[in-house]
Amino acid sequence: MEIIEKIKTNKSDENLTEIQKICLHKLQSSPLPNPKSEQWRLSNKSKFSNFLNYSVNEKDSKFDTPFPNTPQSTIRLVIGNNCQINLLEENYSIQQLSKDELQKYIKEQLSFFKQNENWSDLLNLSLSCKNNILGLKINGSKIPPIEIFSHASSNSLNAKTLVIFLEKNCDVEILQVNLGKENSSLSQSTFFCLKENSSVNHGVVSYGENRSNLLNSLNIVQQKNSTYNLGSLHFKFNYARFEISIKQSAGNAKTNIKGMQITKEDEQISTYTKIEFNGPNGFLDQINKSLADDKSHAIFEGSIIVPKIAQRTDASQLSRNLLLSNLAQIDTKPQLEIIADDVKCKHGATISQLNEEELFYMRTRGITLTEASKLQLSSYFQEIISFIPVSKDKWDLLDKLLNEN
Amino acid sequence: MVNENLVKDVVKEPYKYGFVTDIETEKIEKGLNEDIIKLISQKKEEPKFLLDFRLKAFKKWQKMKEPNWAALGYKKIDYQDIIYYSAPKQKEKISSLDEVDPKLLETFDKLGIPLTEQKKLTNVAVDAVFDSVSIATTFREELAKHGVIFCSISEAVKNHADLIEKYLGTVVPASDNYFAALNSAVFSDGSFVYIPKGVTCPMDLSSYFRINSGDSGQFERTLIIAEESSSVSYLEGCTAPMFDTNTLHAAVVELIALDDASIKYSTVQNWYAGDEEGIGGIFNFVTKRGKCLGKRSKISWSQVETGSAITWKYPSCLLLGEESIGEFYSVALTNNLQQADTGTKMIHIGPKTKSTIVSKGISAGNSKNSYRGLVKMGTKATGSRNYSQCDSMLIGDQASANTFPYIKSQQPNSEIEHEASTCRISEDQLFYLQSRGIEFEEAVSMMVSGFCRDVFNQLPMEFAAEADKLLALKLEGSVG
Repeated sequence: MEIIEKIKTNKSDENLTEIQKICLHKLQSSPLPNPKSEQWRLSNKSKFSNFLNYSVNEKDSKFDTPFPNTPQSTIRLVIGNNCQINLLEENYSIQQLSKDELQKYIKEQLSFFKQNENWSDLLNLSLSCKNNILGLKINGSKIPPIEIFSHASSNSLNAKTLVIFLEKNCDVEILQVNLGKENSSLSQSTFFCLKENSSVNHGVVSYGENRSNLLNSLNIVQQKNSTYNLGSLHFKFNYARFEISIKQSAGNAKTNIKGMQITKEDEQISTYTKIEFNGPNGFLDQINKSLADDKSHAIFEGSIIVPKIAQRTDASQLSRNLLLSNLAQIDTKPQLEIIADDVKCKHGATISQLNEEELFYMRTRGITLTEASKLQLSSYFQEIISFIPVSKDKWDLLDKLLNEN
Repeated sequence: MVNENLVKDVVKEPYKYGFVTDIETEKIEKGLNEDIIKLISQKKEEPKFLLDFRLKAFKKWQKMKEPNWAALGYKKIDYQDIIYYSAPKQKEKISSLDEVDPKLLETFDKLGIPLTEQKKLTNVAVDAVFDSVSIATTFREELAKHGVIFCSISEAVKNHADLIEKYLGTVVPASDNYFAALNSAVFSDGSFVYIPKGVTCPMDLSSYFRINSGDSGQFERTLIIAEESSSVSYLEGCTAPMFDTNTLHAAVVELIALDDASIKYSTVQNWYAGDEEGIGGIFNFVTKRGKCLGKRSKISWSQVETGSAITWKYPSCLLLGEESIGEFYSVALTNNLQQADTGTKMIHIGPKTKSTIVSKGISAGNSKNSYRGLVKMGTKATGSRNYSQCDSMLIGDQASANTFPYIKSQQPNSEIEHEASTCRISEDQLFYLQSRGIEFEEAVSMMVSGFCRDVFNQLPMEFAAEADKLLALKLEGSVG
């Protein structure tokens, strides 16, 4: 109940939007996720309560993260503080969604919500005021890459919401960056609707600072013949959850996911994915990598659901994990639920450490152990990082990761 | 194009062990309370420690809730509507097989179980359990020569109370889960095997479980202890008659392997599965667990699960001893409205432990077949390895196949590999076989048999033949 009180003390009832009221109402019946449910069972309880401990902040501090230089053409947006955009170019248009459009879509999504699976979204939507919701409608082709930032302010709990409609035949690259601040919690929910024949290369890079927390939720609906490519990377969070829900609403769509999470010290980062095929001829190729060092804990749970209608689905899921320390832990649980008979589904999971033979080979060639481990890690990372679109090079992700390791 | 109906026809085959033996039985009244437990214990003339064990388990059971995490749906079980003890009436203690009621022998004869003297030539020692009690155990003297104890658990309680007291409930404690607690409170009979140090059991041991009455549950308990450097292969088979009601079967199997010992436990489970509308059938809730206590010990589970309306079963290995090995080979076939949630747990505790999991699930009709497994590497399991492979085959578009592997590692110097796939009978392969003059049904059976080959290869000879036959019966229709 505490959490509801927290949201309410900030505002009187009249100031709440309709969505906020609906979500608050839903949270009132069961304010916290069920710790025994599959989605929350492994979540560290004290870390989770620490996430909720900060007071709610609706006004952003100045966005002070040094930008890397990106080409002029890149469109850069920061969620919060009434971010506005209205671009009408010859080939394309990027417009803000109207209040009604936003409300209608979110309400529609709310009707599918399940308490434990969508708790992060419920929290996000009940917290994020209209300043912190960004709704975009993207249309056309030859669209310059788009970068969208969400950031938390120190010593507070921040909620940011992003809704994107990708119109028919549209093709775009979007990089979403979530930045945690020292002693902060960030709740980021993203709703993506890919209309027919549209395609997106979506990158999600989240990184924090000391003691920062993150609840990052991604809800994707893919219509026919759409392609959704996701490259994601989460690191440096005391506690982070990345929840992905993808629905191929009428099948015949393609989804490629390459994600990675890196945990150190006593961090806990988890990825939960749920991919539903609601039509025939769906395609999924997913790989999730985890690396756990020190006393940290990395979790992956992925479910693939293929109902009877989803004939000729081709889905594969791979969970690869590196466990680098005696005190670290890795939990992984790939799942298949299949009713259709004419399908090709497979999954795999491995947990191991760095390959000793490869290390030995490199050392015999005069490369030091540290260098050799770095080389091996860099090839492990590279597969994921090269899949993250837009200015990934400028962000020097690989260097950042390797130097910190 | 494969004719869908044809495949469905092939899958249909009546249950041939569905007869009831008309035999006078002694049953106690329905219901479960302390008095019933005391009565069961009294009937079996048990020592006090066992009665205390039962009552303690019952108290725990009362506080527990029926688990609902499995991907199963069934109507609520009324635990007060079950008879917890039912035994064929015997005049006095039997000293040889000749004194066993001929009707009973006939029953086992029909089931193809070699109990009578002339059939003993097959060289498999059998312990036959009918409803709640063990009827007969064959080849006893032969086994005794080697120091092997093979008898019903109630006999073992009388003659080897020290071993029972020392080991019972050490692998599956009464508080382990709801059904284990229920079994601990009311278990009626089962088999007990003790292999002394250095002995390789001269023949395969086998127990055969038969549920005969429709309103009584079966709660057998099996305990196998393999002392240092010993080895044994144990086979288990089950059947039940056809009734419209659901019968509860909640068994507990405990295996203990000491240094260098090896136990191979094979099951062919063919309880009555209910009819096409899902009426009747056995509810099979079984807890099977082996403890590799000693260094280099090995426990291997192989199972062919074709029966039961509901199967809830996870034969597991606790790998404590250094370099101990756990294996799990399973074929689970579900048809009509059967539901199976089965798999294994491999808990690596000691260093350099190894485990292999091969699971094949076949779902046909409207059935539901789930693999649920856990592989865990503890902090001390350095240099341990696991390999798991779970394949599912779907026949028809109404059946469902689920895979839920949990993998947890706390030891960097260990390796876990898991892979799973789902497929159906490939039309290309069927077409190829048919174009070579192989009939449709035979082609289907060849492909199913090929799909299960990895597991069948692990079964003992007698069982491999039975398993092949069983799948043939269930899947091959007229061809079988």
